[in-house]
Amino acid sequence: MDAIRIPPPAELDSLEDEQFRHVVRAFLHAHYPEELRNPPKRLHWSENKPWYFKLAEQGWLCPGWPKEHGGLGLSPSKLIILTEEYERYGVARTNDHGIVMLGPLVIKYGNAAQKQQFLPKILSGEHIWCQGYSEPNAGSDLAALRTEAVLDGDHYVVNGQKIWTTLAMDANWIFLLVRTDKNAKKQEGISFLLVDMKTPGITVRPIINLEYHDEFCETFFDNVRVPKENLVGTLNKGWDMAKALLGFERIFLGSPRQSGYALNRLKLLAERMGVFDDATFADQYTRLRLEFEDLKDLYETYVAKLKRGESLGPDVSMLKVIQTELFQKITDLMLEIAGENAGLLEPMEGNRNLNATGQFIQARPATIYGGSNEIQRNILSKNVLGMPG
Amino acid sequence: MSAALDDSDRQESIRMVRDSAAAVAPVGGDSKRIRDLRMQMPGYDPAVLRQMGELGWIGLRVPEAAGGAGLGLGEMGALAEELGGALAPEPLIPASLSATLLAAAGAPAELGRVLSGESLVLTAWQERADTLEAPGGREAARCFIPFAGGADAFLLPVREGGKLALYWQDAAGASLATEQTYDGGHHGTLQPAPARKLADDIGAVLDQALDDAALMTGFYLLGGAERAFAMTLDYLKTRMQFGKIIGTFQALQHRAADLKMQLALMRASLEAAAATVDAGATGDATHPAGVAARRAAISRAKTRAAEASMLINRQCVQLSGGIGYTDQYDVGLYLRKAMVLSNQFGSARLHRRRFIATAPETEE
Repeated sequence: MDAIRIPPPAELDSLEDEQFRHVVRAFLHAHYPEELRNPPKRLHWSENKPWYFKLAEQGWLCPGWPKEHGGLGLSPSKLIILTEEYERYGVARTNDHGIVMLGPLVIKYGNAAQKQQFLPKILSGEHIWCQGYSEPNAGSDLAALRTEAVLDGDHYVVNGQKIWTTLAMDANWIFLLVRTDKNAKKQEGISFLLVDMKTPGITVRPIINLEYHDEFCETFFDNVRVPKENLVGTLNKGWDMAKALLGFERIFLGSPRQSGYALNRLKLLAERMGVFDDATFADQYTRLRLEFEDLKDLYETYVAKLKRGESLGPDVSMLKVIQTELFQKITDLMLEIAGENAGLLEPMEGNRNLNATGQFIQARPATIYGGSNEIQRNILSKNVLGMPG
Repeated sequence: MSAALDDSDRQESIRMVRDSAAAVAPVGGDSKRIRDLRMQMPGYDPAVLRQMGELGWIGLRVPEAAGGAGLGLGEMGALAEELGGALAPEPLIPASLSATLLAAAGAPAELGRVLSGESLVLTAWQERADTLEAPGGREAARCFIPFAGGADAFLLPVREGGKLALYWQDAAGASLATEQTYDGGHHGTLQPAPARKLADDIGAVLDQALDDAALMTGFYLLGGAERAFAMTLDYLKTRMQFGKIIGTFQALQHRAADLKMQLALMRASLEAAAATVDAGATGDATHPAGVAARRAAISRAKTRAAEASMLINRQCVQLSGGIGYTDQYDVGLYLRKAMVLSNQFGSARLHRRRFIATAPETEE
């Protein structure tokens, strides 16, 4: 492993897949901070910025972006290998909304000035982005959002409230879906706006979640003046732009790695608790293992589509539902076998690998975020099965 | 009063217990108190525990001759259910367990202080996770002692010859480590130092008291599940999305109906187990047939309580959406409590095994 040379960024995409995998492993082994492997909670910017800057320095920060914008220009199949290896190594998520969400959107829909203004600052770590989509009354029904942007001279004046703005306290920019036409049909009066968090009138309030962690925030906008050139794409077409990115999110949330990680932790916990001798448990474990293998096969069919350059249809929602519910079934079983340890706040015996409660709690929102599983089932029944209504 | 009341007297007695509970622990009424006590030591309010003592709750199951109220599992269950709905952290169930042992051991001075709520005495019986058996190792560390940081003393079952003797150990000077639990309380691990013997043979009493505690924990979970479900039902009936109240969506209506059925099974199973024991239908409590009948009834009820409460609380978070995953919304407090209690005094796995090992065959 130590003999592997890390090629310059521009050459990565031309490697053979297996060779690329070895390069990623060698890079992580050499550079990823040991103490940040498999963190029990989502890390804040203060914790993960050394790794962010290491990736930036290496030129690896934005693997999916085209090379001309400073990305690695990786093919979908290599992106998946990269994600697999990161997850296998226990690499923590960075504050990645600029990398994963905003960058690709600006590349696709932004004008030349916006590309020049924003993309380099994501690559340098100067801009850390957060996402302002959901509102207290616009969750599953996101298109009902009411945060409003009204043109006043050269500025939009923004008023309203966003919620579940992940790691907003760490961010210095936010991308927003805002209502710019109150009279149009609800999906047709929404625009996409970029806002500097230092602008007067913005208040961020952390929300403590069931994990006792402040991963999410509420973000309030009180007469916030935003230069009108910060509107991306066409006025009132923000909904279509945001939606175009969701297919990627669903295959990301449908990646079997999350369940795979949990299944492995279930096995370690079961060994520690001595329950593999119990035939009932062995059967329960086997069922979950089989479902995991089946999910991997299903996931591979979507990966193959991406490799062939096909776009994904609404049926990709299946992956999100199956994966997140499997993740929950695995963590439910972890609690069942943990005895009184199922109530502990910290990992049992101080061992992160025996963190039944942490896994269980983290599995709760998986069926809520990224479009709740109820919404995914609506998509499947209406857009895939053609059910009436 | 006695444990063997007739049915209408018992219903009246249960109603009185519920009324008195509502004054101290209003269901869902004081989540600020509950929140403020979390992650603190001792994790409950000693003044409220004393109040519970004054109301006679700690000695509800203790015979009248020993200074208790001499009531049955039906009354105690109703009380535990009310406390569960209020999420009261005061360790009433573990304190009652100790009171039962002290009454049987004939230790009136110690018992008096426990019954009044002045002292918290906890029974340190457990030596590993997920068990209902007390091996009584003289040197073996005792684990998962709920709210141990608040204890004034511990009761230690210690195996001597073939019998389980009961010893007293003061908390002062004891080697005790605590670990925080997800609900904001804690468990303790005690290094035993048996100091003063209270009784020579407590085995059968402890066996029954642990069963009672398992059943009471089930009732506490029932109260919590009822309350979380009621809150969620309110949410389904008022939350608007897509221009409609979300409770009009049939998928959610059916899910709510499924949860209601689980609540009904949970209540039926718990109340039947309490009534079976109270009516003396298990016969002589120390006779093998009586013990088997008691164990089967209680194991069935605790299995249902553990599984249904986890299902209901998980679903209540899901049905509440993003807000359900926040600390500020009370529904999540019930899920965290269920995580801590569903495996206490035996998990569903343990109780299922025990049920099939002890239950009489079904009569067709």
